[in-house]
Amino acid sequence: MKRFNTAVILMAFFFLFVFFAGSAQAAVPKAKLPVLTTSAGQSNDVTTVNIVLEEAGIGYDYCDVPDVDILKAGVGLADKESGPGFHAEVYTDLAKFPKGTAYKTIIFAIGASLKGMGASGLTVDTEEARLKRTIDYCKQNKVYIIAIHVGGTALRGAPGSDNERMIDAVAPLADYLIVTKESNKDGRFTKIAKAKNTPLTEVDYALDLVEIMKKVFE
Amino acid sequence: MMRRTWVIKAILVVSFLALTILGGLGLYEQRRFDIPIVAGPGVTKVVKLSDYSQGLKGTIADTLVFILEGKEAGGKALIMANTHANEPEGMLAALIMIENAVVDRGTLIIIPQFNHSASRNTKPGDGYPLYFEIETEWGKKTFRMGNRDASPLDQWPDPDVYIHYPEKQLLSFIDARNTNRTWPGRPNGLLMERVTFAAMEIMRREKVDIAVDIHGAETMFPVTNCIVAPEKSLRIATMAALTVKAKEGFDSHVEPSPVGFRGLSHREIGDHAETLPFLLEAPIPFLDQPTGPKTEKFLLDGKDPFLLSLARKKKLFVPYDESGWPVEKRVGQHCSLTMEILRQHAKRVPDRAVEVRGVPRYADIVKNGVGSYFHDPAKAERSKIYLN
Ligand SMILES: [Zn+2]
Repeated sequence: MKRFNTAVILMAFFFLFVFFAGSAQAAVPKAKLPVLTTSAGQSNDVTTVNIVLEEAGIGYDYCDVPDVDILKAGVGLADKESGPGFHAEVYTDLAKFPKGTAYKTIIFAIGASLKGMGASGLTVDTEEARLKRTIDYCKQNKVYIIAIHVGGTALRGAPGSDNERMIDAVAPLADYLIVTKESNKDGRFTKIAKAKNTPLTEVDYALDLVEIMKKVFE
Repeated sequence: MMRRTWVIKAILVVSFLALTILGGLGLYEQRRFDIPIVAGPGVTKVVKLSDYSQGLKGTIADTLVFILEGKEAGGKALIMANTHANEPEGMLAALIMIENAVVDRGTLIIIPQFNHSASRNTKPGDGYPLYFEIETEWGKKTFRMGNRDASPLDQWPDPDVYIHYPEKQLLSFIDARNTNRTWPGRPNGLLMERVTFAAMEIMRREKVDIAVDIHGAETMFPVTNCIVAPEKSLRIATMAALTVKAKEGFDSHVEPSPVGFRGLSHREIGDHAETLPFLLEAPIPFLDQPTGPKTEKFLLDGKDPFLLSLARKKKLFVPYDESGWPVEKRVGQHCSLTMEILRQHAKRVPDRAVEVRGVPRYADIVKNGVGSYFHDPAKAERSKIYLN
């Protein structure tokens, strides 16, 4: 009888441990400001990321199609103005990070939109090439890369499809991955994170990004 | 020989007249059928749209405007439904608000049948039902099923090409009767331009903060199950979409309002007033083209075998299975999103908040049905009943 009780208690402890280990959000990695937000694939999700940052009270610069020259220019995006197929917005706290300060972090919102790429005069191939150039620059200059996928199954597809090519272009090279459960339904991001030993945060909903971002840029 | 021709002619004339009268009678009755609306505890005033645009006085396009004022001062929100009168989920959501909402702070202005002429029209050739019924605890409540566009009886003739005012963009002739192409309108223009002009006047004169235009859209159309928002409304729209997904468990994404496409509420309201516009779309399978008969049942439950097979071929823009897309879900989404937009606005500009209670949310309406929020006109005080 006594042995039975001990077994029950041990099992209860075991389940409690599993439960808490599973549900508690693992500590998120820290990133530094200033941050540039951008898109990998030109879907609308970069707008979601921008609004999440505003909601979290974090200043950022945004450019939908930055190339190496813009990354080199740093905060202020070389005073480039938005126009057809090109968007640049500066919300970084310029008192803290004057124009020209090098970015410490870049956030890629992953998701392919043919409409979005078309509006910027890009194809999947040229977008891939652009991403490679920018990521190479970030790696060489130690810019911390956060890759976010919150578009769910709508922004996923069969292997080799536009959305998967955008994931391949960014996720394996990221320093930190944040995805929603729905985006990671097939465990694709878990696999990438394991293979590359990249920290991964899986959130239930995109709304949870607000709290995650507050912690990441604390 | 001569006599036989005469007999044939007489038979033809008589059958033509019989068909015209029999067919026309139903349309005549529908055009004159009024929906009784029971003003709820929050309604403080009921005015007419023509109070804001003289050009609507005495026309069938004039319609009721319900005003719900809170005890405390705050902001103002305008809710419009039946801009397209064949997308009734918007009207049902607006009527639920009129019959149940109580405003604590600020003002809610609701126009449940915005294109009133279209609500007394039908779609020729599509075999639309002229009415639909919603089950309630006290019996069935009957509504008119209208059309997308105003009746040609009320605005005629159509131009060869509709030239949008004031941008002069050339649009399809049929859109001259579409109150989601005639924004921002003008006081002495086409009847439908006078309708949208009146709403613009409400927004300008009353200093309306938020405008929500409630629609339904085909499952095969990419702009469905979403909030359409221009740049200036994007932040509230995005936070509302993210919040309902996380807290209420249904999807709605944000579609940016195109800058170059004129005449739409989500474009022109923001460009011609201080107001932040939002257009809500819920999927309404009834409007899709490759479907079975357009029956009242299909309108309400959204179940269709043809759409089901298209869904399996991944041709639809929303998830679709045997459960269809019932009216309870569509109305629930609209109520929840509207309330969430107001909440997000209040968070940003607390002194212009519009605080509303008593409006059921998505889960409530899916559970209890749309009809459980309508009150029996037979038991209501006479002074509370408005026919529209
Ligand atoms: Zn519509």
